[in-house]
Amino acid sequence: MTREWWKHLVLILGALIVIAPFYTMVSYSFKSPGEIDRGEGGFFGRQELMVDEKCVKLRDPNRDDIAAASARFPGMDDNAIRKALASEAEADCSMRPAVYNYSQAFTQAPLLRYLANGVIVTLSIFALQVVVALPAAYALAKLRFWGREAVFGLVLFCLLIPVHAVALPLYIGLAKLGLTNTYAALVVPWTISVFGIFLMRQFFLTVPDDLIDAGRMDGMSEFAIVWRIMLPTAIPALLAFAIFSVVAHWNDYFWPRIVVTGNRDLFTPPLGLREFKGGADGSMFGPMMASATVIVTPLIVAFLLAQRRFIEGITLSGMK
Amino acid sequence: MAGLILRQIAKTFGETRVLRGISLDIADGEFVSLVGPSGCGKSTLLRIIAGLEAQSSGEVLIGGEDVTGVRASDRNLSMVFQSYALYPHLTVGENIAVPLRMRQLTAAQRLPVIGSLMPGARARGREIAGAVSEAARTLDIDGLLERKPGQLSGGQRQRVALGRALVREPAAFLLDEPLSNLDAKLRVHTRAEIAELHRQLRATFVYVTHDQVEAMTMSDRIAVMMGGEILQCAAPGVVYDDPEDLRVAEFIGSPKINLLPADVGDGGRLSVMGHPLDLAVPSGARGVRIGLRPEALVVADAGAPLVGRVVHFENLGSDLFAQVAVPGLEDRVVLRASPRMRSSLRLDATVALSFDPAAALVFDGAGKRLRDLRRPAANRHREAVL
Repeated sequence: MTREWWKHLVLILGALIVIAPFYTMVSYSFKSPGEIDRGEGGFFGRQELMVDEKCVKLRDPNRDDIAAASARFPGMDDNAIRKALASEAEADCSMRPAVYNYSQAFTQAPLLRYLANGVIVTLSIFALQVVVALPAAYALAKLRFWGREAVFGLVLFCLLIPVHAVALPLYIGLAKLGLTNTYAALVVPWTISVFGIFLMRQFFLTVPDDLIDAGRMDGMSEFAIVWRIMLPTAIPALLAFAIFSVVAHWNDYFWPRIVVTGNRDLFTPPLGLREFKGGADGSMFGPMMASATVIVTPLIVAFLLAQRRFIEGITLSGMK
Repeated sequence: MAGLILRQIAKTFGETRVLRGISLDIADGEFVSLVGPSGCGKSTLLRIIAGLEAQSSGEVLIGGEDVTGVRASDRNLSMVFQSYALYPHLTVGENIAVPLRMRQLTAAQRLPVIGSLMPGARARGREIAGAVSEAARTLDIDGLLERKPGQLSGGQRQRVALGRALVREPAAFLLDEPLSNLDAKLRVHTRAEIAELHRQLRATFVYVTHDQVEAMTMSDRIAVMMGGEILQCAAPGVVYDDPEDLRVAEFIGSPKINLLPADVGDGGRLSVMGHPLDLAVPSGARGVRIGLRPEALVVADAGAPLVGRVVHFENLGSDLFAQVAVPGLEDRVVLRASPRMRSSLRLDATVALSFDPAAALVFDGAGKRLRDLRRPAANRHREAVL
């Protein structure tokens, strides 16, 4: 134990560095703008009632409002009625900062729509990646054909090409096809995952050949072998790949920013964060951090669920 | 059910010649074992029959039809693998149903969830379930249908693999060392069961094993393979009693056959350890060896050809094997005796062994069997009958 303590110290320090931004994000999502600016209030903030200035401004009474309200305030002159209405509006528009931040996150920007877009895009990408990667990996791992090693070499080579290098040609290609500002533009460029092919190929190498031969003897075509034997046995590896793929594309800001230029209905969650970026009336860090929290929550939940399946999946074996 | 014909099957992997022109006729309903040491090409031959491997030359005929170039899935053969190769994600029942589902259901009917709604799928599904439970009952695994292969013992998995093979009626069953992962007791039990299954189904079986006991006990015929060739293919008794080749004689039989170097004298007369035998070979034969099964040796009086000292005993209860060191012989001579002989066969006792020349198997220098044996010159008019 005495020798171990410094390892734990290093790990704890590392963990603190990783957690710090998340802590700030969640903390800011609870605090009032004043507390954020002054850097006070601890984790939750004091949660004092605050007044939403915008809301009050929107209810600023005009002449008709005052006339309509005169019945409720008998014997008062217009000025007094205006003051009474204003204080009423202030009372209605005051709320706890946490409630304010999260309600702003969902009302200022169509966050649910963005979340739905994120689900559609990441799941389509993952499904298509599996459709491409599994047969390709099966062929590279288990079928003997001329030039197999060369093809695999090309796959490895493609791992070295950064996305940003091919972004412009891809964009031009999509633009010429008239596909910018569509779901297709968000999904299609990612359907062939070289990493997925590589990962699945490495996993398929460990699947016994007898299992594949048994499938052939039982009357399966090669495609049936891929979907009926390789896919179910590869679930642990697929889950690992799913985490990489979904996290990468859920959080991707670069590509959606390029191909979604006008249509806000196609915004993915990270694009949604831009709605709160500072303008003439100052940055709205509270609502911005609230939406950031909402955006990462599905990923964290999914990861925790998958973690359990991971361990279950690895023990899946029926040979020998 | 159908017979199999192999014609001049050859296979090379790169530079290595694994099979060197194998021809074999397997009759409909016959149980043929391919037996040989590891690396002799027997599994490769089975995989070529199955269509999992392509031969370099030669042809395979199933039921009289040339299947060269026909995919494994279209050859209508069933195979049991050494590793059992059960689908780990499917239950036992689903495993056994796979060959039927793949062959009897259309692609649409096989789809998950909506497949069962396709016209005709229900009736077919009931047929398949019936066949599965019948196969399971035959193999006594009907209590395990809901389990996953990971929850089964080795013997149970082996039964499931058998069930998957016999749930439909293939042209032939191919078995690739199906018993080698079982413990000794279970192996003996399952051996008998497979032989019984064969009698019951009257199907063609091709059985690959390196264990000569399995081959001897189950087969109608044994094909002894070595170095990519079939040395001899005959009934178990014939292979044991009348081997064509020294390597066959050595491989079949446990304990191993005793080999004694023999000198060729005048008129081809053979002598062992200086004792002339009542046997003669055609003149010109060189490097002759005679093979004697342990049971061909009998304890005799002094003056017998072999005299030696008992150095080791193996008492199997029903049999007694004594290893005798004979001066002048490199290998020990193994004698099989009945347990009654125990008193006379003590360790370190000196024993004299003789044998009936008619029981001796004579091989030439190349290991080929010499059948043209005669009595020595004195009574040449009578030919030895072997």
